[in-house]
Formats: sequence, C-alpha cells, structure tokens
Amino acid sequence: MNKEKNFVSAVVYVHNAEERISKFLEMLVDVLDGNFEHSEIICVNDCSEDSSAAQVKKFGSGARSVSITVLNMSYFHGLEIAMNAGVDLAIGDFVFEFDTTVLDFDSAEIMKIYYRSLEGYDIVSAVPDKREKLMSTLFYKVFDRFTNLTYDMRTESFRILSRRVINRINSMSKAVPYRKALYANCGLKTDTVTYSVKNAPKIKRDKAEKKYRGRLAVDSLILFTDVGYFMSITMTVIMMLCSIFMVVYSLAVYLTSNPVAGWTTTVLFLSVSLFGLFGVLTVIIKYLQILINLVFRRKQYSFESIEKITK
Amino acid sequence: MYDKIIIGAGLYGLYSALYCGRKGQRVLVLESDPTPFRRATYINQARVHQGYHYPRSVSTAVKSAGYFERFNREYDFCINREFNKVYATSAQYSWSDGKQFKDFCRAAGIPCEELHPERFFKKRMCDGAFMTREYTYDAMILKDYFVEKLAELPNVEIIYGAQISAIEKGGDSYVVTAADGKIYRSAFVLNATYAATNQILDMLGYEKFKIKYELCEIILCDVNDTLNEYGFTVMDGPFFSIMPFGKTGFHSLTSVTFTPHTTSYDPVPTFSCQERSGGNCSTFHLGNCNDCIAKPETAFPYMANLARKYLRDEYGFTYNKSLFSMKPILMSSEIDDSRPTVIRVFSQKPTFVSVLSGKINTVYDLDEVLENE
Repeated sequence: MNKEKNFVSAVVYVHNAEERISKFLEMLVDVLDGNFEHSEIICVNDCSEDSSAAQVKKFGSGARSVSITVLNMSYFHGLEIAMNAGVDLAIGDFVFEFDTTVLDFDSAEIMKIYYRSLEGYDIVSAVPDKREKLMSTLFYKVFDRFTNLTYDMRTESFRILSRRVINRINSMSKAVPYRKALYANCGLKTDTVTYSVKNAPKIKRDKAEKKYRGRLAVDSLILFTDVGYFMSITMTVIMMLCSIFMVVYSLAVYLTSNPVAGWTTTVLFLSVSLFGLFGVLTVIIKYLQILINLVFRRKQYSFESIEKITK
Repeated sequence: MYDKIIIGAGLYGLYSALYCGRKGQRVLVLESDPTPFRRATYINQARVHQGYHYPRSVSTAVKSAGYFERFNREYDFCINREFNKVYATSAQYSWSDGKQFKDFCRAAGIPCEELHPERFFKKRMCDGAFMTREYTYDAMILKDYFVEKLAELPNVEIIYGAQISAIEKGGDSYVVTAADGKIYRSAFVLNATYAATNQILDMLGYEKFKIKYELCEIILCDVNDTLNEYGFTVMDGPFFSIMPFGKTGFHSLTSVTFTPHTTSYDPVPTFSCQERSGGNCSTFHLGNCNDCIAKPETAFPYMANLARKYLRDEYGFTYNKSLFSMKPILMSSEIDDSRPTVIRVFSQKPTFVSVLSGKINTVYDLDEVLENE
C-alpha cells in the first residue's frame, strides 16, 4: 500500500480521560499507521488526577511504529495553553490537533481533513453536525458579530494545521490565550469539514474544564472582540448625553420658573463634572483598548517532563 | 602471566595498553570484535568535548575543557577543526536559555561568541546562537595510530574475537578463562568494556554500576555546501545535533529523543532484540549492535523532521547510513546531565579496576590508575 510520505504529528489533549483514552489512541494509531509512513502522537497530559497518563504509557509500550510521547504539564493549564505546548513539541509537516478524546466521529474523517488540506488549505477543521449547546451558539454569535473575520467560528472537534501556518503563528503573537482566534487571524486559507455525529457518548464535563471554558469565553470576548469597548463607549455616550440634557434642563428651569436658590448651580456643577468624568473615562477605555490590541499578556507554560515512550 | 590484562579494545583499552606497553610491561588486550574501535569509540557524535554540552554541570564542563587542549595536541592528526560550531538554545522546552548558556560559558572559561539566531534557524525557534570552539575526531584514523604504535611493542598482545566465559580471583592474581578454553593470568585487570561493564563485573560477583542502557543510532548524512562548513547543536532538552563526523566527509545526525531506540533499566543489558540476534547477543554477552542482524529500523525521518523544524531550509542533508551502538548511562547523572568518569577499584593486589566514561577526551583520567601498582 502506498502510504503518505508526509510526516504527521497528532497532538491530543488529555485531562481525566482514563475511561476513553486507550480506545481513542487505538483508533488514532490505526489511522496513522495505516496511512502514513512516519508519524508521532503527543499526548498532552494536563495534570490529570486519574490514571490517564498511566493508560497512555501502558498503551505506548506495546510495540508500534508510531512514536508516542507524553508531555506532562506541571499544573492545570487548560486546553488552549496545553495544546500550544503540544504543538510546539510536534515535529510533523502537518499537525493534527485533537481538543478532545471523545470519539463521536468515524475514523475516516481524520484522513478526510488531511486530504482536504492537501488541496491548499492550511487549516481544516472537523465540525460535528449536531446542534451546538445554547451557550456555545451565543458565544460564537457574539464573537462573529463583533469581529470582522471570515473564519467560521464553531465548535470544532479536531483540526489539521500545516507547518506553514504554525510558523506563521509563531512569528505572530505566542501570547494568545485562544487558538481559534489566532487561526482566524493568521490570514491563510482555512476550511471546515462537517461530519455526522455517531454514537455520541454522554460525557460529563470535568469541573476544572468547565470553569476554564467559562473564563476563556469571557477573556476571548474581551480580548478579541469589541464587545467590552462597544458596551462601555455606548454607556459613556449615553451618560454624556444625559449630562448635556441636565445642563439644558436646569438652564430652562432657571429661565422659565423660579427654582430654589442654589439648585441651578448645584445641578449645573454636577452635570458639567459628570460630563467631564465620562469624557475622561472614554479616553481611558480607548487607551486600554489600544493597549490590549498592542500586547496580549504574555502567557508562558511550564512543563514537568517529556517522556519518550520506548518499546 | 601478564602484568596487565585489559578487557576491551576501545580507546580506553588501547590507550591503557600503549601507556603500560611503553613502560615495558607485558600487556594482553582481549577484544570480542574482529577489530578495535568497532563500538562506542567509533559510534558516537565524535565530539572532542570542551564542555558546551553540559550547561547544567559546570564541573563536567571544566574537566572536559581541561583535557580538550591536551587531546587536540596529542592526537592532532585525527582532529577535524575545519568547521564552525554553532550552539543554540531552543526557545521552547530548553532547560537553559541563551543568557544562561552565555553565563555558563563564562563560568567554565570556554569561548562563546553571540550570533543572531535567525541567521541559521527558523523564526522564533531559538533564543540564542553562539559560535563556539569544538572539534570532532576521526575514530578510524585514531585506530590506525594505535594499531601501528602497538604493533611496534612486542610486549603487547591483542587477541581479537576473544569471548570471556569466566573470571576468577585466585590467590595473588586474576584468572581469565576464554570461551575457547585458554586461560590468562594477571595481577592487574582493567575492565574497559563500556556497555558490557556490568556483565564482566557479574562474572566476579562485584557490585554493578547503576546504569541504564540505550540502544543508540547515529545517522551519517551527506550534506550540501552550505551545511558542510557548520556543525549545529540545539540545546538543552529534547533536541538534535548535526555536525561533521571526524574527517569522513559525513555529518552525524543525532537527537535526544530519537537516537535512543530502546532502553533497558536492568542491571545487565536486556533487550527483546537479543532473541532475534542469532546468538550474537545475550544478557551475558553483549554483541556488537552495528554488526547485528536484529538492529532496528532507522529513525531518520523523525530526526530529519526535528532538524528541519529548526534549521533554515538552505541547510540541506540526506540520509547515507546508520550506525548503532549500546550506550550505558549512569543513573545519577540524569538531573544535572553530568557525565563523570567513574573509575572503581574493586580489589588491590591483585587489582581489578573498572572504568566507565562517556567522553573520549577524559581518557587521561586513567593515568592515575595505571600508575598505581
């Protein structure tokens, strides 16, 4: 059989996945072994508290041609940074990113996105055809609304990246806490392939992951969209208009009726100071927005060990 | 009765033979391979260490630096100096960064001149690149030298293809029995077998070295003109080296993760490939991995991809052939990555000494032992 000559890496995110990791790796090794001459798997163990790492080790020591490495993170880093760490370690010409080890797709889908990327797409994502969760839909709606990207932001199960796009991203900002936004910004051709979900197992999301996802959503919206800026700028403009209205109103009252002594000056003073205050706030918010755009907070990861599993 | 019996005709063995032979002693060298220098002395990165390799162990660095000049002077004929040696620190996953490497070089007193990393490496892959002074030696030229010098000494005898089946301590001498039934006696035995060292110690029931074994692959590459004048080493973690292999015209390619193919943590080397070796190798007698029929498939695609991930595209290289050898690694040296020369004297009068060292230019550590009668 003519196997693909390209060297591929698969980076797999592993966090408390003891009950499904072996099955997942078995499927993955079958696909890689059957289709590629040379490949490697990097399991990013994001500080699992269960026996996930041991399962990977046990699986890896059964002799196979695929090279398997476990990257043990020192503490819980969350999907995004952990996957960045894994991709940094990968040496493949193409790199698969598996954000989850939940097997709700047919193994043939993996090669589908690979062939699609050979057609000239630097990033190809596999998207499930099931309805997204309400919160996810909302998040992506808001995200799309407040950014001007062509990238179709959706829930993705796995994707393939070319070495070219990884190099491009390396020379952009390494500090980005949300990969998808970075991929969307990289400016290379991207595509998605939809797959039909099969025997989707009910998976209870891990507590730490759940908390992490919530935080990530808020961070991403603030960092990558104009949502925060838009909201605060709208509020300040409304408040400034209110202040102007109050100035006009108090002057009108002063001229037409006879208010209590001191009322006009008090209201005038308050309105003018508030107007000034909101003006200053607008400038500060604008500054912050520019700062965020200039430098994302530099996020570094720390890893405990890299184990090459030998047969 | 010999004055000294030396087991193993690698550099450490032949150096000792020449050292003692020149003093007029009767020396016997026992080697299981058909010629000398067929294992670790030949099959390694051929570095003459000046210490750059040990940024977390200044003691190892200082020691290598001290012997560097002497080795280059005395074995000048086999040294390749005709290339620029660049050390770089990887931006990710390195245990030391560019600044730490520079500070380390200053502390160890070895030359190091800062360069711009992007001259050699892809964008953002390395955070420091340094021009250093490191040479490689040509084991085959060095072998010819030793063979020639030893041939001039009638009091030194080398037996190739010698399999040792037993060693016993008998009164004031050691008795070495070969597989063909021949018996050799001496009051001084030097065990200079490197990877088989514990197998020899096992015969005597002496305490074994705490080592693990790695079956290693060194890949010899043909390189283009741009790469030809450079040697690159990316530090300090799971990275790679590509540098001239002595004066052979090849570059050797090695990587920390893919050079070791299999690892054995047993006291004596125990590998699944031994069953397939056709009697060449067992847990009692380590065969020559490079001559073995059961040697593993090359890891070139892996090492090449790793190197290409870092090196700019103008540095081209292609596969020529692979060399395999067994490498023992002292377990104590994992954390600081130091590579001390361990010389252990097990008994005196009669004397039994084992030497274990991972570096070629620390061979002078032996002088002290050989003097000590």
